[in-house]
Formats: sequence, structure tokens, C-alpha cells
Amino acid sequence: MLLINCPYCGERDQSEFSYGGRIRNYPALDSSASIETWHRAIHLHDSSQTPIGEYWHHECGCEQWIEINRDVDSHEMTPVSGSDALPGRGQS
Amino acid sequence: MQIRRLISGGIIDRDKSISFKFNGRRLTGYAGDTLASALLANNINLVARSIKYHRPRGILSAGLEEPSALVSCTDRQGVFVPNLKATEVVLESGLVARSQNFWPFLSVDFGATLQLGCRLLDAGFYYKTFMWPKKWWHLVYEKIIRHASGQGRIENNRDAKLYDKRMMHCQILVIGSGPAGISAAKCAAESGASVVLLEQAPTLGGSAAWEQTKVDSIPASQWLQRTSRELEQQPSIRITLNTLAFGQYDQGLVLAVEQSRNKAAAIYWRIRAKRIILASGASERPLIFPGNDRPGIMLAAAARQYIYRFAIRPGERAFLAIADEDELQATRLALEYAGVEVVGNLPRGGKLINTRGWHRLSQIRFTDELGKKQKLRCDLMCVSGGWAAQAHIAAHLGDKLTFIPSLDALLPASQMGLVFPTGSCRGLAEINDCIEDGVQQALRAAAQLGLVPEPEPDLPLPRAGPAYHQHHQDGAMAFVDLQNDVLRGDIEQALGEGYEDIELVKRYTTLGMGTDQGKTSWTNAMLELARLKREDSNTTSHTTFRPPYSPVSFGALVGADTQSNMTPVRHTPFYSAFKAAGCIFQTSGNWVYSRYFPSQNETMEQAIQREVLAVRNAVGCVDMSTLGKVDVKGSDALEFLSRIYCNNIETIKPGRLRYLLMLREDGILYDDGTVAQLADNHFLVTMTTANSAACWRWMNKLLQTQWRDLDVQLTSVSDHWASLAIAGPEARHLLRHLRPDFHIDRDSFPMASVRQGSLDENMPCRVFTVSFSGELSYEINVPAGFASSLYARVIDKGADFGITPYGLETLDILRIEKGHLSIGTEIDGRTTAADLGLGKMVSTSKAFIGSSLLQRPALSREDRLQLVGLEAVDGSSAIPLAAHLTAAPWKPGVVQLPLGHLTAAIQSPTLGRSIALALLTGGHRRMGETLWAVSPVNNQSVEVRVGSSCFVDVTGSRLHA
Repeated sequence: MLLINCPYCGERDQSEFSYGGRIRNYPALDSSASIETWHRAIHLHDSSQTPIGEYWHHECGCEQWIEINRDVDSHEMTPVSGSDALPGRGQS
Repeated sequence: MQIRRLISGGIIDRDKSISFKFNGRRLTGYAGDTLASALLANNINLVARSIKYHRPRGILSAGLEEPSALVSCTDRQGVFVPNLKATEVVLESGLVARSQNFWPFLSVDFGATLQLGCRLLDAGFYYKTFMWPKKWWHLVYEKIIRHASGQGRIENNRDAKLYDKRMMHCQILVIGSGPAGISAAKCAAESGASVVLLEQAPTLGGSAAWEQTKVDSIPASQWLQRTSRELEQQPSIRITLNTLAFGQYDQGLVLAVEQSRNKAAAIYWRIRAKRIILASGASERPLIFPGNDRPGIMLAAAARQYIYRFAIRPGERAFLAIADEDELQATRLALEYAGVEVVGNLPRGGKLINTRGWHRLSQIRFTDELGKKQKLRCDLMCVSGGWAAQAHIAAHLGDKLTFIPSLDALLPASQMGLVFPTGSCRGLAEINDCIEDGVQQALRAAAQLGLVPEPEPDLPLPRAGPAYHQHHQDGAMAFVDLQNDVLRGDIEQALGEGYEDIELVKRYTTLGMGTDQGKTSWTNAMLELARLKREDSNTTSHTTFRPPYSPVSFGALVGADTQSNMTPVRHTPFYSAFKAAGCIFQTSGNWVYSRYFPSQNETMEQAIQREVLAVRNAVGCVDMSTLGKVDVKGSDALEFLSRIYCNNIETIKPGRLRYLLMLREDGILYDDGTVAQLADNHFLVTMTTANSAACWRWMNKLLQTQWRDLDVQLTSVSDHWASLAIAGPEARHLLRHLRPDFHIDRDSFPMASVRQGSLDENMPCRVFTVSFSGELSYEINVPAGFASSLYARVIDKGADFGITPYGLETLDILRIEKGHLSIGTEIDGRTTAADLGLGKMVSTSKAFIGSSLLQRPALSREDRLQLVGLEAVDGSSAIPLAAHLTAAPWKPGVVQLPLGHLTAAIQSPTLGRSIALALLTGGHRRMGETLWAVSPVNNQSVEVRVGSSCFVDVTGSRLHA
């Protein structure tokens, strides 16, 4: 059971969150985006480096999706820099 | 009569006599006793039989490390627990304890005759013996093995205990309240930290409570009393007794189980600590020699504990084989105090040869320092090969303990992650060292939290003990692991057969497994293995330590989440109205959903038949409230919807509605639903019941992580609206009688529209013309609180039209007759929109989620599984459920390539014959072909003709009537 630092709520138990997969950046949604571009964005991850970026959904908390860097050796979890400056959806 | 009880002394309450039963005999002990001490007080030494050889076994230890004295207990509340260590069972009145692993009697055991043959059951015995013939595996061998294996028996009664889960947070967690733990807790609290102190026993102090040692100049017990008082006055410390910490996890999480005083309840604690001080102590290592398992052979410290703590004389004539000189003296003093005659001790350089005795030790044979054989009569033997640190919890995250050759011991580092081991679990033996070490470790932990300045790094060092890994006489019954009956020879055999790694030796011999997790065996086993491999001990490691440190009941782990508390139950707003109408419900996910509405004496089949025909010929009503509903607003709302749905929806107008498909990123169909435009920049989208939570998460994720620039606000309104669909040729007439305040004739309220207004001027509503049944249909949405009222009005006004409420069964039949899709059957995570005949709905003029990867060539191959309809060629046979499609009928033993599989098969009430939906290879080009629907399970084959997946009203005329 990990401890996750939610930029909106502070340190909370992992049981309040659900995992949302690796951080991905979608290619632009236009007809120029090739199969190859999307294939790379969706299916291919570099698993060799740590920390890895992950999405976590604070489902039983503020309901925000947060971006976390997780060190796969130590399990240390730190918010992706700048992501705590996100405007909270539905919180304005 | 407690004939072994000393006249005075001990930490027991002699005014409180406790009556209990052991193997049917009524016995008494005192408050403060454990079951083990009460048995010893009653001169009962034969407590159990061992698992493999059914050897007589007694009580080896006085704590959680006990490998032998396993019992099944029923307490006063009737709660039965097998496999308890007699040394951990607190004596309670009404306790009924029984021995395990014997048949028919503990004293005369049939299985014990096995030991006459000796070495029958060596390592790998079961693997090698029960091999042939193969057909005996289940018929014969399984019964034999099941009868012979396992500790204890379970009862199938419901666990009557109360369980709960709770959280605790603290800066410094101290595990164990022996001299080191208690001084660490005090020091940590004084340094300003919030402290939690866990103690597994009912009282604080560990060995300080009974060992006859001195702290500075005062007796340890006095020091303990003073320190306990000081501790209780600290406001920032929380002491939790009867609590076993059993595992350490990431980021300072420690799991523990607290037993209530009367054992009728247990709390599963999840403790989050910034630093952990581990003072879990050490236990003694037995000696390995032939016959080292007889009742009467006891660890030296355990003997002292029985004497000083429980006031018991554990024997009459004692022989000592104790490595440490100081401990030898302390034990000798304790035995003299208890009136036990010490008949001799194993001299340095002497070797133990074997023991004799039937149900109890009666003679010991050894060679003295000159190699001369000796034998002595005795009924008690106190053994100790040195100490083994019980630092499992420090190693739970993966770091291992290190072998220190000079100390002949496996020890933890002085800090392992967040854990600071202290006291005897760090190899310290002397009480003053332990107390000093507790203080030092607490200061170091507090310093890392910034509470105190960093202390000087001068921890007390473990004193070099005697190198006493003496190899005693070889011989048959020299046990390394008493609980699993693993002999020294088994380790040798495992090595001989190539299992060299200690982890493999463990699996092959079962060494270190079981309820004691090898607490008394693993150090000995490791040294034994090193000796046999002629390896340096410090290159040999221990097996991986995993939680739980000591057994924890499943009930405690599960907590209160049982029966109806296991998952939440969701009722739709119509639940009470439906219940009053005699609805039969079924659960679907967390939902309790209406299944069918039987009239008097109707069977389910009859009710469904009636409901279906009512919808096709008159009007029915069905609960649609479980569909997911999301309100979408904002200037980019349409843009957002256009990106996540594959349809062309840019041309939608206020008041209109569209059927939608949502694809996954890889182009596979994910969900279907509708979007209704309520106003400019204001939409309501629906999604399937099964995917509603996941779609909500997904939509939020996209907005919060990918498209932060879009101006869109999402609100989940799934639970805000009660939704009742009225469907059938008479639906419009019924709606008119509900008196909506908007026009509902065919031209002003066509299919795929939405109107907002009220019914009868007093019930706010949204009405959608959308159909899942293929009939003219209005989905009436009212705020959830109006549900019962709406249902009453529909039934009332609909009486003249033959209104018929229907449930999930009829809903499913109606949609299968129309070839509409369902999640999990047709939309199964592998099909594309085109596979299901909906290719035309996928826009080619815009980009959306899934549009790129949908272009992958394999997703448009013509031989993909495609949705088709099936009818029996003879027009009357029932198509078997879950059948596969093949070119020829099913014949046992003949392998055929399946061409596809059925996703639904029903007896259609509308058509009066059997129909089915199927996913068929290249199905769209096979119209008119005949195939076989085969079900090897039912041994059935029905010839079927492939056709359209829509069986009723193919042109859709009913929909637009």
C-alpha cells in the first residue's frame, strides 16, 4: 500500500486512488496522425528508465487525475513538476 | 492438582483459579497462565503428535517461536481455532483445547508406528511415491495424501468473532515492549515524537518482567514497573497491548492485529509511521542431535520463563546443554530456585549422542570432553545453541539479514530503510545494553525526523558469543525443523538431489514452513546447509522473509466486509414501487434490477412470454435508470463529444438525439449510448450500465490530462434521474394521457428527439424518443424522487392500453429480436463497429479517438468475426445456448475448426421459434449459408441458416409509426 501525494489533498493512502496507466501524450487529433504515430503513443513505453510517469485518479477524494513520477526501485512517488499548478476541474 | 506449581512466586494471580479442558480432562490453572504453562503445571508434557512421523511432542519454548505444541481450541463463545501454539494461548475459563495429528489416541498413535520403519517419509517422499498409475492420482492417492497432510482440521461454522479495520498514524512506531522497546518508546516520546507502542503479549516488559537480572543496581522487574508508569504519563504515546505486528510494507506501513481481551473481537490495524523501531527480540536455537524432539527437552530461556514467570518446576532432574556461559549460570540458578536437581551439563567439546524416553525424556547419552561415552537419567533437558534475532519485519521489504561469523548469527543492519532494529533482535544480550540501545536508536530515529540533534554514533555492539555450532552425533531422528519433521538427513538428501539453493531446500523439504515459519529452525538450517556445502556461512543466506511474521486469521484480514457488507447494493428509484408490484429482482453488478413481473401462478417463462407480446402488441414499461448519464456543458462541449464518439454529430440541433458509438484508442468498439442536445452548448450523454463508471472516469481523464484547453464541464447525473421507458404501439396514446405540456404527434416529436417540460403540469420531465425494443418508445426521465409517482401514473393511465411492466429478461429478448447490441456479448472488447454491422456510423470525415488505429489493415479484413442472425433450418429446433458454429454436426472425437460462436440464443415469443445472434468468420458474406450450431456440452447439433441480425421489423416501420 503506497502513499500518494495528491497536489490537491496532500498525502493519502493508495486505497483512495485508482491507477490510470502510464502518462501518454496523444498525437494531434487530425487526419495527419498516422497509424505509426498513434501506435507509438498508445502501445510503446520505455520501461527501462525510472522514475516512470503515471496517472492516478483520486477517486475517493477530489476526483482529480494527477500525474505522478514513481521510482520503481524505491516506490517513492512525487508529483510531476508543474502538475500541481493544474486548475482543478469542477473546483473553480 | 497443579503438582508442578511452586508454592510461591511467579506473575500469576493465585486467587483466580481458571478451569479448562485438555483432551477431555478437566484441569485448572491461574490467571496469567498460558495454556502451555497450565499444562506444565499439571505435569502434562505430551501435548501433540508431529505431522509426519507422529512422534510424541511436548513444549519446547514459551513464545511465538513454538514449533511443536500445536492445539485446536474452542473458547467460551464457541469460537474454534486450529493450529494455535499452546504457548500463545492465554488461559481463559471455559477453554477447551485438543491435541492434533493423532489417531486414535494421543498416547497410543497408529501413525507413530511409521517411525519404527524409520526414514519412510524422507524429503520428496510424496513426489516420488504417488506417481503411478496415473488414474490413481485422484481415485486413491489424493485421499491418502489429504488424510495424512496438513496441521489440524477446520470447522465450517460461521466465524462468530467481530472484526474491524482501523488506521493509526504516528511519527515513531515501536514494535515490542521488552527492555529495548520500552526504553526506545519512552525516549522517542520524550523527544517530542508521537509514538505508538505495540506489544503482542497482554502485559508490557517482555523478559524484563521475569528474568532475574539487574538494571544498574535495581531488579529488572522494578525498573520495568517504574518505566511503565513513566510511559503511561506521556501524553504523546499510545500503548496497544495484545497486538501482533505481522508485516512491514512500503513507506512505513505496518500491519497488525489486536485481539480483544476476551478474544471475541479483533482489530486489523494499518499503521502508517515515519520511522519504525523494531524491538521484537530473539529466540533461542535448539541443538541438532538424534532424539532432540522428545517432550522434556526445552529451550533454556523458556525453562527460566516457566520457573520465574509461571512458578513451575519443569522437571525433577535436569541436564544442561547451553552454549553461553552466562546463560548456563542463569539457568542453573533458576533450576536450583525451582528445586530441580541439575544432574549434569554438556562439557565444552562434548557431543550429544541421543536420548531415550517413550512419552517423555528419560535418559541422555553424550560423550564428555575426553570422548568418553556417558549416560544420565533425567526428565528435563535445557538446550540453547545461542540466540536467533527475530528481525523478520526489518527484512520484509527485501533487504536481508547479514551473517556475522564472529557472533554465529544472522543480524539486521542498524538501520534498514525506515526500520531501526534494537535490543536482542540486533544481537544484544545484556539487559543494560538493550536499554541503552533502545535510547540510542530512538534518538537516531527522532533526529531523522528533525526532533533532536543527531546523536553520536556509538551504539552498543553485540558481544561475541560462543561459537557453539557444534556438530553432534549423526543419526536418524535428528530434527532441524520440529514442526515439519525435517531431519538433518533431509537437508543432506535435498543437496544430493541437486536442490542446493536454500530456497529450493525449503520447498523440497518443507523446512521453515508452517505456523512457526521456522523461527527455531532457520538459523540452524542455514548453518547446516553451509556445513554440508563446505561453504563459508556468510555466503549462505536465509530464505525470503514474508509477512505474516506469525499467523493471522483470515477473519481479521477480511474485517467486516462479509456477506451483505462485501459490496454496496444499489437500488434504482423504482425499487420500492416495483417491489410492491410483485417484481422478481436479480442482481446485475451492484444493481438490484427488476427481472420479471409475474402475475399469479405464472412461471418465469410464462411471464416473459406475456411481457414480450404486450410490448409488441400494446405497451410495456421498463426501468432504464441504471444507464450512465453525464451532463456536458461549455463552449467546447460539442467539440469534446465529437472527439470521443466516432459518429458525425456536428450537425445535431437542440431538441434532437443521436445514437453514439465510443471506440477505444486502438479502434475497438468500447461502448454505445446516446447524446441529446438540451440547449446550445448543453448536452446529455448516456452510456451503458456496465460502463457508466468507467466512461465517467475516462471522460474526466481526457479533459484533465490531454485536452486541458477545452472549455467543458462534466456532471454525473446518473443518480439524479429516474428513467422509465414506455414502449409499444400504444406508447404515444399512453404518453398523451400522461398530459405532457408539449406536442407529441409524430411530426412534432419524431424518433431521436428530446423534449423538456412537465407531465400533468406538476411533474418535471425530460422525454427521449429512443428505442431499445424496436417499438415506438418514450423514455420518460423525472427527478429521482418522483419515481414511484411516475410509475403509479403510468400504470393507472396505461390500464386501458394494457400496460405491462417488464424486466431485464424481456428487455434482453426484445433487443435480441431486433439485433441490438449488448456489452460483453457482442461488444466484447474484440469487435469493431463494422464487425457488428455499424460501419456506416463511423465518420470518415473527422479524427476521433480510435480513428487512426482503426485503419490498421487487420481490423478491416473480410474474414473477421462478424455479427449475423441464425434461425434453425427446420424452423422448430431450439438452437443451443453458447454453441459454436461448424461446417458439420458435432461428432465425439472429431476435431472441427470452429467458424464462430453464438452471443445470444432465445425462443422468440414474437416469432414463435428459436433465433440466435452469432459472431461468424466472414459472416457478412455468408448470408443464406447453412451451418451447424454445435454444443459438445449438451451433445447437441442444430442446423442453422445465416441471415440478418434483425429479426423483427427490418424496415423500422414500427419505430416511426
